[in-house]
Amino acid sequence: MTLHALTKPWEPMSYGFLDASAKREIRRKMIKAIAVPGCQMPYASHEVPMARGWGTGGLQVSLTLVNPSMRVKVIDQGADDSVNAASIRRFIARVAGTPTTMDTLDADLIQSRHRIPEEVLREDQVLVLQVPNPEPLRPVQPNMSIARQMHADADYGRMWLQLYEQIVRSGRVMQGASYPSLVHGRHVMTPSPIPRWDVPKLHMAKHLTILSAGREKRIFAVPPFTRVEPLVFSDVPYKVEDHADLTCHRSGTRGFFMNEIPQDDGTSVFEVSDSAWGVKAIRRRDGEEVALGETWYKNGKMPS
Amino acid sequence: MAYVATRGGERAIEQSQRLFKAELGDITPERVAEIRSAMPYLIDRVMGEASLYDEDLAALALAQTGGELYEAVLLLRAWRTTQPRIAVAEPVTQDALFTHRRISAAFKDIPGGQVLGPTLDYAHRILATEVLDGQTHRPEPVEPAAKPAPANQPSVAAWQAENGLLRAAVPDTQTGNDIPDVTREPLLFPAKRAHTLQSLARAETGGVLALGYAAQRGYGQAHPTVNELRLAEAEVVVTHPRGTQFSAGRVKVSQAEVVSKKGEQLELGFSATLGWNEVKVIAAATLDLNSKSAPKGSATEEEFFLYHTEGVESSGFCIHFKLPHYVTFQSSLYAMRDAKAKKAAKEKSAEPAE
Amino acid sequence: MTLTLDAPRIVTTHPLLQVHHVSKSYGSVNALRDVSAIAYPGEVLGIVGESGSGKSTLLRMMNLEETPDTGSYTLDLPDVEGNLFDLDRFARRMLCATRIGIVYQNPHLGLLMKHSSSGNVAERLLVAGERSFATLRAKATAALEASEFPLDRLDAPPIELSGGMQQRVQLAKAIALEPALLLLDEPTTGLDVSVQALVLDTLKRLQQERRITMVIVSHDLGVIKTLADRVMVMKGGEVVEAGLADQIFQDPQHAYTQQLVHAKL
Repeated sequence: MTLHALTKPWEPMSYGFLDASAKREIRRKMIKAIAVPGCQMPYASHEVPMARGWGTGGLQVSLTLVNPSMRVKVIDQGADDSVNAASIRRFIARVAGTPTTMDTLDADLIQSRHRIPEEVLREDQVLVLQVPNPEPLRPVQPNMSIARQMHADADYGRMWLQLYEQIVRSGRVMQGASYPSLVHGRHVMTPSPIPRWDVPKLHMAKHLTILSAGREKRIFAVPPFTRVEPLVFSDVPYKVEDHADLTCHRSGTRGFFMNEIPQDDGTSVFEVSDSAWGVKAIRRRDGEEVALGETWYKNGKMPS
Repeated sequence: MAYVATRGGERAIEQSQRLFKAELGDITPERVAEIRSAMPYLIDRVMGEASLYDEDLAALALAQTGGELYEAVLLLRAWRTTQPRIAVAEPVTQDALFTHRRISAAFKDIPGGQVLGPTLDYAHRILATEVLDGQTHRPEPVEPAAKPAPANQPSVAAWQAENGLLRAAVPDTQTGNDIPDVTREPLLFPAKRAHTLQSLARAETGGVLALGYAAQRGYGQAHPTVNELRLAEAEVVVTHPRGTQFSAGRVKVSQAEVVSKKGEQLELGFSATLGWNEVKVIAAATLDLNSKSAPKGSATEEEFFLYHTEGVESSGFCIHFKLPHYVTFQSSLYAMRDAKAKKAAKEKSAEPAE
Repeated sequence: MTLTLDAPRIVTTHPLLQVHHVSKSYGSVNALRDVSAIAYPGEVLGIVGESGSGKSTLLRMMNLEETPDTGSYTLDLPDVEGNLFDLDRFARRMLCATRIGIVYQNPHLGLLMKHSSSGNVAERLLVAGERSFATLRAKATAALEASEFPLDRLDAPPIELSGGMQQRVQLAKAIALEPALLLLDEPTTGLDVSVQALVLDTLKRLQQERRITMVIVSHDLGVIKTLADRVMVMKGGEVVEAGLADQIFQDPQHAYTQQLVHAKL
């Protein structure tokens, strides 16, 4: 055996940027997170060539999971061509040689900031959500060590109290995005700042969702077929944003989460937030053969 | 919406980077060498916050970012992520430091003596404007002392411990890869001592100063006296796979001990960092001193100051607010409008809406 | 001839609360030394003593906030067994949330000052698992009403209320789940004398209507005399005298008790 056979030529960086020991740690923490759904697992969270708060948690998970045959989709606020999504997609492709796609149906791994695509995800797809603040208890308990203890005790009275107070003060639950949800009947998690519209998509979903906060160094997961229940009072039903009857002014698609675009005349028009879905709808309208997947919402309603 | 125009993203970010780089012009080996030699204190600060001791890389990071310090530190930290750990150096003891500057405010004289060393402390802060008129500002030559100060000195805290004034720190028995490393494991609370000291060593200078100053001004419980401040060089001694111990080089280090009276004993706060950065170690040692008795949630509590002085995290989070947030915004907008409508309906009918 | 008597207040033969041989020291300070206490169902146990006598420490132990070095604590309730000091964190928390109510001298310890008053009461019900908004609202209102809290201030935060009102919110929170045991730590200390009398009236009425077992701690013998059926006198971490209230007030045995009683009279 020669020395040459035992060694590899020098490279400026490892495959997928992170070195093998960092990836091993993240794999272990992901397995722990899947084993205890919704429970936040601390991890080292290395610095990557992007600023903290810009998707470094999601990126580390994606870089650990990818291989050269996996097709990667990256979205930010629902859009594939948002500048930061473009930057992350380019980085993953550059350091891991992965093919990229914008079509949800073609993607093996989807890294997303603040949205879940409108087309139903399959068993063979992984959704990686970027998380700015992994701690649902932060508004009621800013101290991380006390909050950890509260999770261990399943001490969630204050979370409910917060909802009670909102109804008393404003007549409704005011929590918008990041709606706190009980996972597998045990841990309350933040689903990351996805709109309420998207939270029901996580409940008993076929796909694996990994949520990763780089700056705050926490990974948690919703394994396939796991209960995800928004915290609601039994007599005050959970309400998603009132977008069921809105129509996208560009693609004509209707019954999905929309972006509101204020107009000069004081009115607003709406544009479908899942940009890839909107593009496919336009292409189909223009006569192209485009595969549209099954959507979670049908006619603006989530089947229960 | 302008900056998420359909299909425009990739081109836009490419061009925005070009615009930034065009302002900086060519980055040449000469420019990097000039930064390295002209700005050693800036290099030290960046190396300390990056926890990566390499003057050339630090100078390159400064050149590449045009002196945007947070960006320079991030660049070095990201580089550090890709580097394997080949060895763990032997612990550096205080009396083994090659000391350049060592002062104590606690005693007029200390065993080993006060060594003023290089400092601007007593300089009059006057701009040398003659340089702008085309003249060269040439420093006066240094006149060596008749008797050079000894290069190796004991710590003041060690003398105090011998005299029963404070309890000496218990030496850490962990060695090699067992030493907790904050770059390889998350910071949890109560923090391991190694993690606390490492986090302070990597902390952002301005953040440490702000919180340390708050403690010094009276928001802390303990008023610090600088027991000893030291600027020195440390040998990085590593073990060759064959067993030979050798010095892989010298690094500049700063350290501060601050003390305060607690009952019949002195309490000690400590901090050390790579590079020479006096403000940072005095402020950090003040925070360390105050953390023992800090109330939960106060600015001198360990969890509070370690989280909030982590420069890469705090600066990254701060600038992330530039990213589009219209999905979250839309969600709260809906709740707001609905609540408003409910209230209006309620006032109109005087009957409860639900 | 038929003799009719009022039913005696103390009828059960088995005490609800039993604390046995509890000792606790902090460093070299003995906070409690071999303290025992009992309270029968529906009875009010008054603990009197100066500050530093250990009475508040004992009360905190009854609320499972602190654990003694030695000693035992039992409550004679269905599904509650064994020495409560041996319970794990979770069981302690659930027991305190559902079976024991407490009112602190300092309302900041018992209340979230910036949440609504009704929310403070509702929290208790939420911890016990209530998930209907309408029920929470109704039960919180009922508990506040029972504590004679003005219902037009239902959603005012305690920070905007007077000291007496804050104590009524604490009381409503404590009785919301109809606890088996109500602990009162100097509940009226620091209030104006007239307000103090009103709060004591409420406590007395509640006690008579609901027959809640109470333990009240006070340095004020007058407060103890108003409410207690049974009295324990503490000094320096020890019980110097214990017995039925009448007995203690009419015929104090220990010199310290005599001094207290005479000072009061």
